[in-house]
Amino acid sequence: MKGTFQRKYLGIPYALYLLVFVIMPLIVIVKYAFTDASGRPGIGNFINFFTDPNTLGTLVYSLFLAFATTMICLLIAYPAAYCLAMSKISSKGAILMLMIMPMWINFTLRITALKELLTMIEGNLALHPFANSVIGMTYDFLPFMILPIYNQISRIDKSLLEAASDLGADQVQAFLRVLLPLSMPGVISGISMVFLPAMTNYVVLDMLYNSTYIMGSLIGSYFSAYDWHGGSTISLILLVIICIFTLVVGGDEGEKNVRGGSVL
Amino acid sequence: MMTFKKISSKLIVLACSGILLAGMVPAVPAHAAEDVITIRVCNWEEYIDEGGWDEDEVIDLESGDIFGENALYEDFEEWYYETYGQRVKVEYSCFGTNEELYNMLTLGDEFDLVAPSEYMIMKLMSEGRLVPYSDEFFNEDNEYNYYIRNVSPFIRETFETNEINGEYWNEYAACYMWGVLGFLYNPEYLTDEEVSTWKLLVNENYIRQITTKDNVRDSYFAALGALKGDLFLSEEFLNDPDYHERLGAEMNDTSEETVAAALEYLQRVKDIVYSFETDSGKSDMVTGKIYSNLQWSGDAVYSMDLAEEEDVYLAYSVPEECTNLWFDGWVMLDVGIKGDAEKQKACEAFVNFLSRPDNAVRNMYYIGYTSSIAGGTDGDQIFEYIDWNYSADEDEEETAEYDIGYFFDGSEGGDYVLTVPEEQTYRQLFAQYPPKEVTDRSAVMRYFDTEANARINQMWINVRCFNIGKIKAAGWAAIIVLVIAIVIGVIVMKRGDKKARVNRRPLQHQ
Repeated sequence: MKGTFQRKYLGIPYALYLLVFVIMPLIVIVKYAFTDASGRPGIGNFINFFTDPNTLGTLVYSLFLAFATTMICLLIAYPAAYCLAMSKISSKGAILMLMIMPMWINFTLRITALKELLTMIEGNLALHPFANSVIGMTYDFLPFMILPIYNQISRIDKSLLEAASDLGADQVQAFLRVLLPLSMPGVISGISMVFLPAMTNYVVLDMLYNSTYIMGSLIGSYFSAYDWHGGSTISLILLVIICIFTLVVGGDEGEKNVRGGSVL
Repeated sequence: MMTFKKISSKLIVLACSGILLAGMVPAVPAHAAEDVITIRVCNWEEYIDEGGWDEDEVIDLESGDIFGENALYEDFEEWYYETYGQRVKVEYSCFGTNEELYNMLTLGDEFDLVAPSEYMIMKLMSEGRLVPYSDEFFNEDNEYNYYIRNVSPFIRETFETNEINGEYWNEYAACYMWGVLGFLYNPEYLTDEEVSTWKLLVNENYIRQITTKDNVRDSYFAALGALKGDLFLSEEFLNDPDYHERLGAEMNDTSEETVAAALEYLQRVKDIVYSFETDSGKSDMVTGKIYSNLQWSGDAVYSMDLAEEEDVYLAYSVPEECTNLWFDGWVMLDVGIKGDAEKQKACEAFVNFLSRPDNAVRNMYYIGYTSSIAGGTDGDQIFEYIDWNYSADEDEEETAEYDIGYFFDGSEGGDYVLTVPEEQTYRQLFAQYPPKEVTDRSAVMRYFDTEANARINQMWINVRCFNIGKIKAAGWAAIIVLVIAIVIGVIVMKRGDKKARVNRRPLQHQ
């Protein structure tokens, strides 16, 4: 028997949200990206982007910055999450809280503090703009890497590791062949949560005196020059890159990604 | 006065009803005094006295105390009711940059009165979006027309002689604040000579120690000032009877060759300066991170005051080559006023209220910028305030004469000469009221047409972007290796993952 109220009605608010704030803006972006200043349709904007050494350079620079940030986050976060998840101490919750506590503080505030800290260490911040940007991004995004990895590892059944050693695997083998593959969904979830914002979060660069544009600032500069077409084109290119990235890295891990990330 | 009001309110009722036919004047009641007129004002952030002063902040001038209790726009509502017997509500909001304001207008935000900078005013004028001020606004016999009765002759002349498409600025804009562009610097580290040229930005003795503005127009101006500096300082140029016209033309040069030269110059600047900043320069000067900072004169006053509290003594310098004379002015928007004469009257009254000398002092005290108002007709509070603020104490040892007559009555060596501590000739007073020789070498940067604007914006983007050509062969090799490694990594991972999954499923369910 069907009642008058169906469960799918619960989705209506979100469907509306999706329509107004996701679908419609997307249509506007696509429209602007595929038209020039006089409104003629074409792919001229994209040709401009991919033939201009400056915009292309910005893409490479952003990708490289995001890659460096992600790698460093991963190198710091994985061992930390691993230690915490595998340890038998009772105060796990408190330590985890310490790790994610920076997220409770407004991020511009954190970067301002970091700025002073780095100035004390380096003297003149402007001498190492790229390194500072990576440090700033890492500072910002590290908790997003730790949490999903920690959650994934602590969900792994520890008896699997015992089984591995019963079957003759040494510790390294057990880690490489059992733990690492099983923790991959957390890693992937962490990567996508760090890599994508690191490509566009230009506030960090601005605040740490890196005057080179990344994708986010490039979009902003087009908009403030009233060039909606150029800005939309770059937004769309960024969107496609993100889609490709998610497909390659995420792939069939999609479902588990959600689980890894849902704790946030 | 009352007749004027009655007539205009009747007119507006007629216009609104859409029955304005010649000779047909139906007996509709005029605007009742209780009706509230709403004006929507949009101004720069922190660009008006918002009141709430501490009690010890009273400015005790000879002509009476000046004190900011409420925000000026709130005081205006009261003043308007007392003066015209009509309630007005000011909806006050703010914008961050001229471009942001323009985008807001493009996206359909409606304002009645806004205060953009000179080039944006010119852009809005040329697009026909502005409402001209009424003839009554310029009537000096009306005692409430504070603006026209008190505006500085220097500002007035500038607004009456600068035009765009044959229309003069003063028809559409009333100057609010003005200033010049120069360098805020720390005299401990930099000499006068070093900071008195635009070439400071490429001075290799100060690598990563000077900031410039993250703003295409200011950067372009600074670049032209340096590139054309030798020309500007040549005898021939300085003695040219058309010096001003030539300087203006050179500083608004947007030819392809000049933009290309500016690109090259600014790329050098980018490799030398500390950063392109929007707001951080002020505090970085105080903390000593940087030695000098390209700065608008009003912000420089604020920074020097701020630094003094930390016992840091900063100074201001305007390059010898030339400087940018800038203005922010009140303009009424067509899209907001929509021919409503009552509304226009309230907007004009708002501008007049802000131009009353005591209110202009409140604004200057609160925001540190320089008001366009000189006073005179309705009180000498402005000069008294400058005197109160900067004049030397009797026991001051090193004093200097400082003449700002050009701003007040066009005089030289007249009534408007201050005796100030010597340091004020290069500190706050110098920044707030630059002497005549500085304004004499100033040029207004006009609004660029679409084509020139696109060229300059593209130039700026090219300055800021990482050029892919900078990557050397070794860099490319490293990137290719990296990409291959990632691809292999992903493939291996996927394979391993599939295997692991096949193997682990039975285990997991045991």
